[in-house]
Amino acid sequence: MQQERTVSPADPSPMVVVEHLVKRFGSFNALSDVNLEVAKGEKIVLCGPSGSGKSTLIRCINHIEKHDSGRIVVDGIELTDRICDINNVRSEVGMVFQSFNLFPHLSVLENCMLAPMKVRGLAESEAHQRSMALLRKVRIHDQANKYPAQLSGGQQQRVAIARALCMQPKIMLFDEPTSALDPEMVKEVLETIVELAQDGMTMVCVTHEMGFAREVADRVVFMDRGSIVEEGDPSRFFRAPNTERAKAFLNQIIH
Amino acid sequence: MNSLDFSIVVQAWPYLWSGLLFSLSLTAAAFLVGMFLGTLFALVQHFELRILSQLVRSYVALMRSIPLILVLFWFFFLVPIVLGHLSGNGRPVPVGATYTAFITFGLFEAAYYSEIIRVGLRAVNKGQFEACQALALSTFDTYRHVVLPQVFRVASPIILSQTIILFQDTSLVYVLSLTDLLGAASKLAQLNGRLVEMYLAVAVVYLMIGCAASQFVASLRRKYAIAGARR
Ligand SMILES: Nc1ncnc2c1ncn2[C@@H]1O[C@H](COP(=O)(O)OP(=O)(O)O)[C@@H](O)[C@H]1O
Ligand SMILES: [Mg+2]
Repeated sequence: MQQERTVSPADPSPMVVVEHLVKRFGSFNALSDVNLEVAKGEKIVLCGPSGSGKSTLIRCINHIEKHDSGRIVVDGIELTDRICDINNVRSEVGMVFQSFNLFPHLSVLENCMLAPMKVRGLAESEAHQRSMALLRKVRIHDQANKYPAQLSGGQQQRVAIARALCMQPKIMLFDEPTSALDPEMVKEVLETIVELAQDGMTMVCVTHEMGFAREVADRVVFMDRGSIVEEGDPSRFFRAPNTERAKAFLNQIIH
Repeated sequence: MNSLDFSIVVQAWPYLWSGLLFSLSLTAAAFLVGMFLGTLFALVQHFELRILSQLVRSYVALMRSIPLILVLFWFFFLVPIVLGHLSGNGRPVPVGATYTAFITFGLFEAAYYSEIIRVGLRAVNKGQFEACQALALSTFDTYRHVVLPQVFRVASPIILSQTIILFQDTSLVYVLSLTDLLGAASKLAQLNGRLVEMYLAVAVVYLMIGCAASQFVASLRRKYAIAGARR
Protein backbone atom coordinates (compact mmCIF):
# COMPACT_ATOMS: atom_id res chain seq x y z
CA MET A 1 0.00 0.00 0.00
CA GLN A 2 1.36 3.35 -0.99
CA GLN A 3 1.44 6.06 1.59
CA GLU A 4 2.42 9.60 0.72
CA ARG A 5 2.08 11.76 3.79
CA THR A 6 2.70 15.45 4.20
CA VAL A 7 3.55 15.39 7.86
CA SER A 8 5.26 18.54 8.96
CA PRO A 9 8.46 17.40 10.65
CA ALA A 10 8.08 20.02 13.37
CA ASP A 11 4.94 18.44 14.77
CA PRO A 12 4.65 14.74 14.16
CA SER A 13 1.80 14.02 16.57
CA PRO A 14 -1.32 13.18 14.56
CA MET A 15 -4.43 15.35 14.55
CA VAL A 16 -6.78 12.39 14.65
CA VAL A 17 -6.17 8.81 15.65
CA VAL A 18 -8.88 6.24 15.11
CA GLU A 19 -8.09 2.77 16.44
CA HIS A 20 -10.15 -0.41 16.12
CA LEU A 21 -13.30 1.63 15.79
CA VAL A 22 -16.58 -0.31 15.91
CA LYS A 23 -19.99 1.25 15.49
CA ARG A 24 -23.18 -0.78 15.48
CA PHE A 25 -26.74 0.19 14.72
CA GLY A 26 -28.64 -2.58 16.48
CA SER A 27 -26.99 -5.75 15.27
CA PHE A 28 -25.70 -4.11 12.10
CA ASN A 29 -21.99 -3.24 12.00
CA ALA A 30 -21.77 0.16 10.34
CA LEU A 31 -18.05 0.30 11.15
CA SER A 32 -15.97 -2.76 11.92
CA ASP A 33 -12.41 -2.29 13.12
CA VAL A 34 -11.57 0.96 11.36
CA ASN A 35 -8.08 2.35 11.82
CA LEU A 36 -7.15 5.79 10.53
CA GLU A 37 -4.56 8.41 11.35
CA VAL A 38 -4.82 11.96 10.10
CA ALA A 39 -1.62 13.97 10.34
CA LYS A 40 -1.62 17.68 11.08
CA GLY A 41 -2.20 19.54 7.84
CA GLU A 42 -3.15 16.39 5.99
CA LYS A 43 -6.06 16.35 3.55
CA ILE A 44 -7.92 13.10 3.23
CA VAL A 45 -10.65 12.29 0.77
CA LEU A 46 -12.96 9.54 1.93
CA CYS A 47 -14.89 7.69 -0.73
CA GLY A 48 -16.85 4.51 -1.17
CA PRO A 49 -20.27 3.23 -2.09
CA SER A 50 -23.39 4.55 -0.41
CA GLY A 51 -23.92 2.89 2.96
CA SER A 52 -20.25 2.00 3.36
CA GLY A 53 -19.95 3.95 6.62
CA LYS A 54 -18.25 7.17 5.47
CA SER A 55 -20.69 9.47 7.23
CA THR A 56 -20.72 7.29 10.30
CA LEU A 57 -16.93 7.43 10.52
CA ILE A 58 -16.65 11.19 10.37
CA ARG A 59 -19.67 11.62 12.64
CA CYS A 60 -17.92 9.44 15.22
CA ILE A 61 -14.92 11.76 15.13
CA ASN A 62 -16.95 14.59 16.67
CA HIS A 63 -19.19 12.25 18.63
CA ILE A 64 -22.40 12.99 16.78
CA GLU A 65 -22.49 9.21 16.69
CA LYS A 66 -21.26 7.42 19.79
CA HIS A 67 -18.85 4.62 18.95
CA ASP A 68 -19.25 1.20 20.56
CA SER A 69 -15.61 0.29 20.95
CA GLY A 70 -12.16 1.35 19.88
CA ARG A 71 -10.40 4.63 20.48
CA ILE A 72 -10.74 8.09 18.97
CA VAL A 73 -8.17 10.73 19.88
CA VAL A 74 -8.45 14.23 18.47
CA ASP A 75 -5.46 16.51 18.97
CA GLY A 76 -4.46 14.54 22.05
CA ILE A 77 -7.94 14.48 23.61
CA GLU A 78 -9.48 11.04 23.82
CA LEU A 79 -13.21 10.90 23.15
CA THR A 80 -14.84 9.32 26.17
CA ASP A 81 -18.38 9.60 27.47
CA ARG A 82 -17.38 12.59 29.57
CA ILE A 83 -19.26 15.64 28.39
CA CYS A 84 -16.23 17.90 28.81
CA ASP A 85 -14.08 15.66 26.57
CA ILE A 86 -16.85 15.64 24.00
CA ASN A 87 -17.20 19.40 24.03
CA ASN A 88 -13.44 19.94 23.95
CA VAL A 89 -13.20 17.75 20.89
CA ARG A 90 -16.23 19.25 19.21
CA SER A 91 -14.99 22.78 19.60
CA GLU A 92 -11.77 21.83 17.76
CA VAL A 93 -13.57 19.97 14.96
CA GLY A 94 -15.55 21.84 12.33
CA MET A 95 -18.18 20.01 10.37
CA VAL A 96 -19.98 20.76 7.13
CA PHE A 97 -23.06 18.75 6.25
CA GLN A 98 -24.53 17.71 2.94
CA SER A 99 -27.74 19.59 3.76
CA PHE A 100 -26.01 22.74 5.14
CA ASN A 101 -28.05 22.75 8.36
CA LEU A 102 -27.93 26.51 8.73
CA PHE A 103 -30.17 27.99 11.41
CA PRO A 104 -33.12 29.30 9.38
CA HIS A 105 -34.30 31.85 11.94
CA LEU A 106 -30.92 33.57 12.17
CA SER A 107 -29.28 35.80 9.60
CA VAL A 108 -26.10 34.65 7.89
CA LEU A 109 -24.07 36.79 10.27
CA GLU A 110 -25.92 35.54 13.36
CA ASN A 111 -25.41 31.96 12.19
CA CYS A 112 -21.67 32.62 12.30
CA MET A 113 -21.61 34.57 15.55
CA LEU A 114 -23.65 32.23 17.76
CA ALA A 115 -21.13 29.52 18.64
CA PRO A 116 -18.08 31.80 19.04
CA MET A 117 -20.04 33.86 21.56
CA LYS A 118 -21.71 31.00 23.42
CA VAL A 119 -18.93 28.43 23.31
CA ARG A 120 -15.74 30.49 23.05
CA GLY A 121 -17.09 33.37 25.10
CA LEU A 122 -16.21 36.01 22.53
CA ALA A 123 -17.62 39.49 22.94
CA GLU A 124 -20.21 40.47 20.36
CA SER A 125 -17.88 42.91 18.60
CA GLU A 126 -15.13 40.32 18.37
CA ALA A 127 -17.51 37.65 17.08
CA HIS A 128 -18.89 40.13 14.57
CA GLN A 129 -15.44 41.00 13.32
CA ARG A 130 -14.35 37.38 13.03
CA SER A 131 -17.58 36.36 11.29
CA MET A 132 -17.36 39.16 8.75
CA ALA A 133 -13.73 38.30 8.01
CA LEU A 134 -14.61 34.67 7.35
CA LEU A 135 -17.71 35.55 5.35
CA ARG A 136 -15.45 37.73 3.24
CA LYS A 137 -13.07 34.80 2.84
CA VAL A 138 -15.86 32.66 1.42
CA ARG A 139 -16.97 35.72 -0.60
CA ILE A 140 -20.43 36.06 0.86
CA HIS A 141 -19.99 39.06 3.16
CA ASP A 142 -22.40 41.15 1.07
CA GLN A 143 -25.19 38.74 2.07
CA ALA A 144 -24.42 38.87 5.80
CA ASN A 145 -27.80 40.22 6.81
CA LYS A 146 -29.88 37.89 4.67
CA TYR A 147 -31.56 34.76 5.93
CA PRO A 148 -30.37 31.33 4.75
CA ALA A 149 -33.51 30.69 2.72
CA GLN A 150 -32.81 33.81 0.66
CA LEU A 151 -29.53 32.32 -0.59
CA SER A 152 -28.75 29.74 -3.25
CA GLY A 153 -27.55 26.30 -2.19
CA GLY A 154 -23.96 27.11 -3.04
CA GLN A 155 -24.10 30.30 -1.02
CA GLN A 156 -25.67 28.49 1.90
CA GLN A 157 -22.95 25.89 1.89
CA ARG A 158 -20.27 28.59 1.86
CA VAL A 159 -21.98 30.19 4.86
CA ALA A 160 -21.93 26.80 6.57
CA ILE A 161 -18.18 26.60 5.92
CA ALA A 162 -17.67 30.09 7.33
CA ARG A 163 -19.80 29.24 10.35
CA ALA A 164 -17.63 26.22 11.10
CA LEU A 165 -14.43 28.23 10.58
CA CYS A 166 -15.60 30.88 13.07
CA MET A 167 -14.84 28.37 15.82
CA GLN A 168 -11.23 28.29 14.56
CA PRO A 169 -11.22 24.50 14.35
CA LYS A 170 -8.04 22.47 14.02
CA ILE A 171 -9.64 20.06 11.58
CA MET A 172 -12.59 20.28 9.21
CA LEU A 173 -14.87 17.39 8.36
CA PHE A 174 -16.95 17.58 5.20
CA ASP A 175 -19.76 15.12 4.55
CA GLU A 176 -20.53 15.24 0.83
CA PRO A 177 -20.56 19.05 0.85
CA THR A 178 -21.59 19.32 -2.80
CA SER A 179 -24.00 16.39 -3.19
CA ALA A 180 -27.11 18.45 -2.49
CA LEU A 181 -26.12 21.23 -4.87
CA ASP A 182 -27.20 22.02 -8.39
CA PRO A 183 -24.30 21.27 -10.76
CA GLU A 184 -23.55 24.94 -11.46
CA MET A 185 -22.95 25.59 -7.77
CA VAL A 186 -20.58 22.70 -7.09
CA LYS A 187 -17.58 24.62 -8.36
CA GLU A 188 -17.90 27.65 -6.08
CA VAL A 189 -18.08 25.42 -3.02
CA LEU A 190 -15.20 23.20 -4.09
CA GLU A 191 -13.08 26.28 -4.79
CA THR A 192 -13.73 27.48 -1.27
CA ILE A 193 -12.63 24.15 0.14
CA VAL A 194 -9.53 24.11 -2.07
CA GLU A 195 -8.54 27.54 -0.76
CA LEU A 196 -9.00 26.30 2.77
CA ALA A 197 -6.77 23.33 1.98
CA GLN A 198 -4.12 25.65 0.57
CA ASP A 199 -4.17 27.57 3.84
CA GLY A 200 -3.02 24.37 5.51
CA MET A 201 -6.24 23.25 7.18
CA THR A 202 -6.35 19.60 8.17
CA MET A 203 -9.39 18.03 6.57
CA VAL A 204 -11.32 14.86 5.96
CA CYS A 205 -13.74 15.21 3.09
CA VAL A 206 -16.29 12.66 1.97
CA THR A 207 -16.76 13.28 -1.72
CA HIS A 208 -16.88 11.59 -5.08
CA GLU A 209 -15.50 14.64 -6.91
CA MET A 210 -12.40 13.07 -8.39
CA GLY A 211 -10.97 16.28 -9.81
CA PHE A 212 -11.14 17.83 -6.37
CA ALA A 213 -9.57 14.75 -4.78
CA ARG A 214 -6.68 14.84 -7.26
CA GLU A 215 -6.13 18.51 -6.61
CA VAL A 216 -6.10 18.62 -2.83
CA ALA A 217 -5.98 15.16 -1.31
CA ASP A 218 -2.76 13.85 0.19
CA ARG A 219 -4.44 10.51 0.54
CA VAL A 220 -7.63 8.84 -0.65
CA VAL A 221 -9.27 6.40 1.72
CA PHE A 222 -11.70 3.96 0.19
CA MET A 223 -14.33 2.34 2.38
CA ASP A 224 -16.70 -0.50 1.73
CA ARG A 225 -19.12 -2.27 4.08
CA GLY A 226 -17.84 -0.57 7.19
CA SER A 227 -14.13 -1.11 6.63
CA ILE A 228 -11.25 0.73 5.03
CA VAL A 229 -10.44 -1.41 2.03
CA GLU A 230 -7.72 0.60 0.38
CA GLU A 231 -5.87 3.86 0.73
CA GLY A 232 -3.24 5.70 -1.19
CA ASP A 233 -2.12 8.57 -3.33
CA PRO A 234 -5.08 9.99 -5.31
CA SER A 235 -3.50 9.92 -8.76
CA ARG A 236 -2.49 6.31 -8.29
CA PHE A 237 -5.76 5.30 -6.67
CA PHE A 238 -7.97 6.73 -9.41
CA ARG A 239 -5.74 5.41 -12.19
CA ALA A 240 -5.03 1.95 -10.87
CA PRO A 241 -6.83 0.87 -7.72
CA ASN A 242 -5.42 -2.21 -6.03
CA THR A 243 -8.61 -3.90 -4.96
CA GLU A 244 -11.49 -5.28 -6.98
CA ARG A 245 -14.00 -3.46 -4.83
CA ALA A 246 -12.36 -0.10 -5.49
CA LYS A 247 -12.23 -0.88 -9.21
CA ALA A 248 -15.93 -1.72 -9.25
CA PHE A 249 -16.73 1.44 -7.34
CA LEU A 250 -14.68 3.70 -9.62
CA ASN A 251 -16.29 2.15 -12.68
CA GLN A 252 -19.66 2.99 -11.23
CA ILE A 253 -18.96 6.63 -10.50
CA ILE A 254 -17.34 7.24 -13.86
CA HIS A 255 -20.23 5.76 -15.81
CA MET B 1 -90.37 46.68 21.72
CA ASN B 2 -88.67 50.03 21.64
CA SER B 3 -85.98 50.88 19.11
CA LEU B 4 -82.27 50.33 19.72
CA ASP B 5 -80.62 52.89 21.97
CA PHE B 6 -76.85 52.75 21.98
CA SER B 7 -76.41 55.68 24.32
CA ILE B 8 -76.92 53.08 27.02
CA VAL B 9 -73.70 51.42 25.87
CA VAL B 10 -71.82 54.69 26.14
CA GLN B 11 -73.07 55.14 29.67
CA ALA B 12 -72.13 51.58 30.52
CA TRP B 13 -68.70 51.88 28.92
CA PRO B 14 -66.61 52.42 32.09
CA TYR B 15 -68.02 49.26 33.60
CA LEU B 16 -67.57 47.30 30.36
CA TRP B 17 -64.04 48.66 30.14
CA SER B 18 -63.15 47.36 33.58
CA GLY B 19 -64.54 43.97 32.53
CA LEU B 20 -62.49 44.07 29.36
CA LEU B 21 -59.36 44.96 31.33
CA PHE B 22 -59.95 41.99 33.60
CA SER B 23 -60.35 39.67 30.59
CA LEU B 24 -57.19 41.03 29.00
CA SER B 25 -55.07 40.82 32.15
CA LEU B 26 -56.29 37.30 32.87
CA THR B 27 -55.48 36.32 29.29
CA ALA B 28 -52.03 37.90 29.47
CA ALA B 29 -51.20 36.28 32.80
CA ALA B 30 -52.51 32.87 31.73
CA PHE B 31 -50.56 33.22 28.48
CA LEU B 32 -47.29 33.94 30.27
CA VAL B 33 -47.71 31.27 32.95
CA GLY B 34 -49.12 28.80 30.42
CA MET B 35 -46.32 29.33 27.92
CA PHE B 36 -43.63 29.10 30.58
CA LEU B 37 -45.00 25.92 32.15
CA GLY B 38 -46.11 24.55 28.78
CA THR B 39 -42.58 24.90 27.40
CA LEU B 40 -41.19 23.25 30.50
CA PHE B 41 -43.71 20.40 30.23
CA ALA B 42 -42.96 19.94 26.54
CA LEU B 43 -39.21 19.82 27.22
CA VAL B 44 -39.67 17.28 30.01
CA GLN B 45 -41.49 15.04 27.54
CA HIS B 46 -39.02 15.80 24.76
CA PHE B 47 -36.09 14.72 26.94
CA GLU B 48 -38.08 11.67 28.04
CA LEU B 49 -37.21 12.25 31.67
CA ARG B 50 -38.63 9.06 33.09
CA ILE B 51 -40.98 9.65 35.98
CA LEU B 52 -41.37 13.34 35.34
CA SER B 53 -42.52 12.93 31.76
CA GLN B 54 -45.06 10.29 32.84
CA LEU B 55 -46.40 12.75 35.40
CA VAL B 56 -46.58 15.55 32.85
CA ARG B 57 -48.34 13.31 30.34
CA SER B 58 -51.00 12.39 32.89
CA TYR B 59 -51.43 16.01 33.90
CA VAL B 60 -51.84 17.16 30.31
CA ALA B 61 -54.30 14.37 29.54
CA LEU B 62 -56.32 15.21 32.64
CA MET B 63 -56.51 18.92 31.94
CA ARG B 64 -57.40 18.40 28.32
CA SER B 65 -60.23 16.00 29.07
CA ILE B 66 -61.96 18.12 31.70
CA PRO B 67 -63.96 21.27 30.94
CA LEU B 68 -62.31 24.43 32.17
CA ILE B 69 -65.36 25.36 34.18
CA LEU B 70 -65.01 22.16 36.21
CA VAL B 71 -61.34 22.85 36.83
CA LEU B 72 -62.28 26.30 38.09
CA PHE B 73 -64.74 24.76 40.55
CA TRP B 74 -62.18 22.24 41.73
CA PHE B 75 -59.55 24.80 42.38
CA PHE B 76 -61.97 27.11 44.09
CA PHE B 77 -63.29 24.46 46.46
CA LEU B 78 -60.48 21.92 46.69
CA VAL B 79 -57.35 24.04 46.94
CA PRO B 80 -58.47 25.78 50.17
CA ILE B 81 -59.16 22.36 51.70
CA VAL B 82 -55.80 20.97 50.57
CA LEU B 83 -54.02 24.07 51.87
CA GLY B 84 -55.89 23.67 55.15
CA HIS B 85 -54.63 20.10 55.50
CA LEU B 86 -51.11 21.15 54.61
CA SER B 87 -51.13 23.97 57.13
CA GLY B 88 -51.98 21.42 59.79
CA ASN B 89 -55.12 22.64 61.49
CA GLY B 90 -57.46 21.22 58.83
CA ARG B 91 -59.47 24.42 58.43
CA PRO B 92 -59.87 25.48 54.77
CA VAL B 93 -57.65 28.37 53.76
CA PRO B 94 -59.59 30.60 51.33
CA VAL B 95 -57.58 31.49 48.23
CA GLY B 96 -59.87 34.15 46.80
CA ALA B 97 -61.65 34.19 43.48
CA THR B 98 -59.13 36.33 41.61
CA TYR B 99 -56.12 34.21 42.61
CA THR B 100 -58.08 31.07 41.81
CA ALA B 101 -58.87 32.39 38.34
CA PHE B 102 -55.28 33.39 37.56
CA ILE B 103 -53.77 30.15 38.87
CA THR B 104 -56.36 27.91 37.23
CA PHE B 105 -56.18 29.57 33.84
CA GLY B 106 -52.38 29.47 33.85
CA LEU B 107 -52.24 25.82 34.82
CA PHE B 108 -55.04 24.87 32.44
CA GLU B 109 -53.56 26.65 29.44
CA ALA B 110 -50.13 25.15 30.19
CA ALA B 111 -51.56 21.77 29.18
CA TYR B 112 -52.70 23.10 25.80
CA TYR B 113 -49.57 25.10 25.08
CA SER B 114 -47.36 22.16 26.05
CA GLU B 115 -49.05 19.98 23.43
CA ILE B 116 -48.50 22.62 20.75
CA ILE B 117 -44.84 23.03 21.70
CA ARG B 118 -44.29 19.29 22.03
CA VAL B 119 -45.45 18.77 18.45
CA GLY B 120 -43.33 21.74 17.35
CA LEU B 121 -40.23 20.25 18.99
CA ARG B 122 -40.70 17.03 17.06
CA ALA B 123 -40.91 19.00 13.83
CA VAL B 124 -37.44 20.54 14.22
CA ASN B 125 -35.08 18.97 11.70
CA LYS B 126 -32.53 16.51 13.10
CA GLY B 127 -29.85 18.40 11.21
CA GLN B 128 -30.40 21.43 13.43
CA PHE B 129 -29.46 19.43 16.50
CA GLU B 130 -26.44 17.97 14.72
CA ALA B 131 -25.25 21.40 13.62
CA CYS B 132 -25.45 22.53 17.25
CA GLN B 133 -23.51 19.49 18.39
CA ALA B 134 -20.87 20.07 15.74
CA LEU B 135 -20.48 23.65 16.98
CA ALA B 136 -20.11 22.38 20.56
CA LEU B 137 -23.14 24.35 21.74
CA SER B 138 -24.39 23.23 25.14
CA THR B 139 -27.81 21.62 25.39
CA PHE B 140 -29.09 24.78 27.06
CA ASP B 141 -27.82 27.06 24.28
CA THR B 142 -29.07 24.64 21.65
CA TYR B 143 -32.62 24.88 22.94
CA ARG B 144 -32.44 28.51 23.97
CA HIS B 145 -31.00 29.91 20.75
CA VAL B 146 -31.73 27.40 18.01
CA VAL B 147 -34.51 24.94 18.76
CA LEU B 148 -37.10 26.86 20.78
CA PRO B 149 -37.03 30.02 18.64
CA GLN B 150 -37.82 27.86 15.63
CA VAL B 151 -40.59 26.06 17.50
CA PHE B 152 -42.17 29.34 18.63
CA ARG B 153 -42.05 30.68 15.09
CA VAL B 154 -43.55 27.65 13.46
CA ALA B 155 -46.17 27.29 16.17
CA SER B 156 -46.97 30.99 16.61
CA PRO B 157 -50.20 30.93 14.55
CA ILE B 158 -51.53 27.97 16.56
CA ILE B 159 -50.34 29.49 19.83
CA LEU B 160 -52.17 32.67 18.96
CA SER B 161 -55.41 30.86 18.05
CA GLN B 162 -55.22 29.06 21.36
CA THR B 163 -54.76 32.42 23.06
CA ILE B 164 -57.85 33.83 21.34
CA ILE B 165 -59.82 30.86 22.64
CA LEU B 166 -58.33 31.56 26.05
CA PHE B 167 -59.49 35.17 25.82
CA GLN B 168 -63.02 34.05 25.07
CA ASP B 169 -62.90 31.44 27.84
CA THR B 170 -62.20 34.11 30.43
CA SER B 171 -65.98 34.67 30.49
CA LEU B 172 -66.18 31.48 32.56
CA VAL B 173 -64.98 33.39 35.61
CA TYR B 174 -68.62 34.23 36.26
CA VAL B 175 -68.77 30.97 38.22
CA LEU B 176 -66.35 32.57 40.68
CA SER B 177 -68.50 35.73 40.78
CA LEU B 178 -65.79 37.64 38.93
CA THR B 179 -66.71 40.08 36.21
CA ASP B 180 -65.07 39.96 32.81
CA LEU B 181 -66.24 41.76 29.66
CA LEU B 182 -69.14 39.43 28.94
CA GLY B 183 -70.03 39.26 32.63
CA ALA B 184 -70.10 43.05 32.85
CA ALA B 185 -72.36 43.28 29.83
CA SER B 186 -74.81 40.67 31.07
CA LYS B 187 -75.01 42.21 34.54
CA LEU B 188 -75.84 45.58 33.04
CA ALA B 189 -78.25 44.00 30.61
CA GLN B 190 -80.13 42.43 33.48
CA LEU B 191 -80.29 45.79 35.24
CA ASN B 192 -81.33 48.04 32.39
CA GLY B 193 -83.12 45.49 30.25
CA ARG B 194 -81.11 46.51 27.14
CA LEU B 195 -79.99 42.99 26.29
CA VAL B 196 -79.71 43.50 22.54
CA GLU B 197 -77.60 46.66 22.74
CA MET B 198 -75.30 45.30 25.42
CA TYR B 199 -74.70 41.95 23.72
CA LEU B 200 -74.22 43.62 20.35
CA ALA B 201 -71.67 45.95 21.87
CA VAL B 202 -69.60 43.17 23.44
CA ALA B 203 -69.89 41.12 20.26
CA VAL B 204 -68.31 44.06 18.41
CA VAL B 205 -65.50 44.23 20.96
CA TYR B 206 -64.82 40.49 20.70
CA LEU B 207 -64.94 40.78 16.92
CA MET B 208 -62.46 43.64 16.87
CA ILE B 209 -60.03 41.83 19.12
CA GLY B 210 -60.46 38.65 17.11
CA CYS B 211 -59.80 40.49 13.83
CA ALA B 212 -56.77 42.27 15.25
CA ALA B 213 -55.40 38.94 16.39
CA SER B 214 -55.91 37.25 13.02
CA GLN B 215 -54.30 40.22 11.28
CA PHE B 216 -51.37 39.74 13.60
CA VAL B 217 -51.22 36.01 12.80
CA ALA B 218 -51.30 36.81 9.10
CA SER B 219 -48.48 39.33 9.44
CA LEU B 220 -46.43 36.79 11.41
CA ARG B 221 -47.03 34.25 8.66
CA ARG B 222 -45.88 36.75 6.04
CA LYS B 223 -42.81 37.67 8.05
CA TYR B 224 -41.70 34.08 8.53
CA ALA B 225 -42.62 33.22 4.98
CA ILE B 226 -39.96 35.70 3.88
CA ALA B 227 -37.41 34.32 6.32
CA GLY B 228 -38.32 30.79 5.28
CA ALA B 229 -38.72 31.32 1.54
CA ARG B 230 -37.06 28.94 -0.88
CA ARG B 231 -35.39 30.42 -3.86
N1 LIG C 1 -29.02 6.15 12.68
C1 LIG C 1 -28.90 4.99 12.03
N2 LIG C 1 -29.65 3.92 12.38
C2 LIG C 1 -29.52 2.74 11.74
N3 LIG C 1 -28.67 2.52 10.73
C3 LIG C 1 -27.90 3.54 10.33
C4 LIG C 1 -27.98 4.82 10.95
N4 LIG C 1 -27.08 5.64 10.34
C5 LIG C 1 -26.50 4.90 9.38
N5 LIG C 1 -26.97 3.63 9.38
C6 LIG C 1 -26.55 2.57 8.49
O1 LIG C 1 -25.16 2.46 8.57
C7 LIG C 1 -24.60 2.22 7.29
C8 LIG C 1 -23.57 3.28 6.98
O2 LIG C 1 -24.21 4.51 6.81
P1 LIG C 1 -23.46 5.82 6.39
O3 LIG C 1 -22.29 6.00 7.29
O4 LIG C 1 -24.45 6.91 6.36
O5 LIG C 1 -22.96 5.48 4.94
P2 LIG C 1 -22.36 6.42 3.82
O6 LIG C 1 -22.21 7.78 4.39
O7 LIG C 1 -21.07 5.79 3.43
O8 LIG C 1 -23.34 6.39 2.69
C9 LIG C 1 -25.76 2.22 6.30
O9 LIG C 1 -26.09 0.89 6.02
C10 LIG C 1 -26.86 2.89 7.05
O10 LIG C 1 -28.10 2.36 6.66
MG1 LIG D 1 -23.17 9.58 3.86
